[in-house]
Amino acid sequence: MSSGSPPPPSETLAPSGLMGPSLQLERCATGIEGLDNILGGGIPRGNMVLVAGSVGTGKTTLSLEFLVRGAERGERSLFISVTEASAKLIQNLSTFEFFRTELVDQGSLVFVDLPVIYERLGLSNEELNAEEIGILIRTIRDLVRTLGVRRLVLDSLTSVCYRIHKEEQIRDFMLRLGEELKEAGCTSVLVSEIGPNPGRYSLHGVEEAIVDGVILLWNARRMGDILRVVQVVKMRGAAHSRAQYVMELTPIGILMAPHLKGGREGGA
Amino acid sequence: MPPVDIGDRLRSLPGGSAVALKLDPREYADHYFAVLNATLRDVGSETNAHTVYVAVTSPAAFVWTLAQALDVPRERISFVDAISHIMMNYSNPLENATYVDSPRALEEIMLRVEYLLRKFPHPRSIVVIDSVNSLAIHNPPELLSEFFHILLNNLKSRSVLTLVLETSDEEQSGVEQMLNLVVDETIDVARAGR
Ligand SMILES: Nc1ncnc2c1ncn2[C@@H]1O[C@H](COP(=O)(O)OP(=O)(O)O)[C@@H](O)[C@H]1O
Ligand SMILES: [Mg+2]
Repeated sequence: MSSGSPPPPSETLAPSGLMGPSLQLERCATGIEGLDNILGGGIPRGNMVLVAGSVGTGKTTLSLEFLVRGAERGERSLFISVTEASAKLIQNLSTFEFFRTELVDQGSLVFVDLPVIYERLGLSNEELNAEEIGILIRTIRDLVRTLGVRRLVLDSLTSVCYRIHKEEQIRDFMLRLGEELKEAGCTSVLVSEIGPNPGRYSLHGVEEAIVDGVILLWNARRMGDILRVVQVVKMRGAAHSRAQYVMELTPIGILMAPHLKGGREGGA
Repeated sequence: MPPVDIGDRLRSLPGGSAVALKLDPREYADHYFAVLNATLRDVGSETNAHTVYVAVTSPAAFVWTLAQALDVPRERISFVDAISHIMMNYSNPLENATYVDSPRALEEIMLRVEYLLRKFPHPRSIVVIDSVNSLAIHNPPELLSEFFHILLNNLKSRSVLTLVLETSDEEQSGVEQMLNLVVDETIDVARAGR
């Protein structure tokens, strides 16, 4: 890893498997050791990453650990919640043995409820128009800039996209949000709620083309046992493993192990 | 060559070694107790290392009873029990055990071992896998060799002393050949001084 110089702004220097580590982008180590190993050190800083999976696959848990580990390292972290109340999420955090409430009290880990923001901004229409989308982006940008946010989670992108009906506008929303966050050096995770066998990673399908990375979570079965499986499908700027890993949510954080090949088939 | 003492031999190994301990089925009880004694008492108590015991042959509760007879304190051993559920023997779960659904959940076993090693960190932890034969009953050979290859490499990189119990007589089975490829050495308990 090069020291001192700022990371190159574009992905044109993205490493191929043959390039030396000196050409790699600065990484934002997620702090989830297994994931950082898969990614070759972490998410390239400033990347916008989709974490996609059906309900209960661990998207929120993974996102929360990403933020807590960041806050612990002195990177201010922001969780924008759409469906679950912050208070409940903070309560859930206590299942992590490494979580300290001071992180929230000191403002290193900040929770914001998007419905509250919608209300304050007067965004009450079921469908957001272009202007309102612009307001939403600027509001998030200002939050990130004012607080100096280095890690951001939006849980979930899907529920925001339910209010943006035109594909064109979703594309625009994501491109602009991505630019703003990248400029701020903020690494982001956007949670995508999908069905168990969706054939794509997001509500409309355009989202996954725009983001820099896609991490897919699902439940696999082997001879009646259910395993949580994780796979990094794409990550710009990182020569990463594309293999499948089994993950476990534990009080000391998410642990990962290789998904043994001999066990992929076999049904319930 | 004079017989080696199992405990002495294990103590002399460099950190991160993986060892197969070969038990003769005709003297199983004797050999098994010798191995527990050498592992939990000789090696474990000297270094104060934490032992993670993967129980696939007998339930953790049974092994824990033997460990107590050897005066092993509770904080020095924890179990990954992969057999109690399928033997329907789960009514009194141990406090120092974590239970996986079946011996087929190999990834789960790896993850629980990792969990316990992190929970009880020690520069020279010990992992006991009891046994390769029991795992082989429930898993196809390719899966099992993949499991051992990944697990033992991982444990080696963390300087964990890994002991794999193996029950066999003269004939070399496929399981043994596989195990030979992944361990650093095999100790034949029948030939070792105790
Ligand atoms: N630290 C933890 N240890 C064990 N189980 C957990 C932990 N955190 C969450 N879970 C469980 O994992 C499941 C998935 O949680 P969640 O992250 O909310 O999934 P998703 O956001 O994908 O719907 C839930 O059933 C939850 O109870
Ligand atoms: Mg969720």
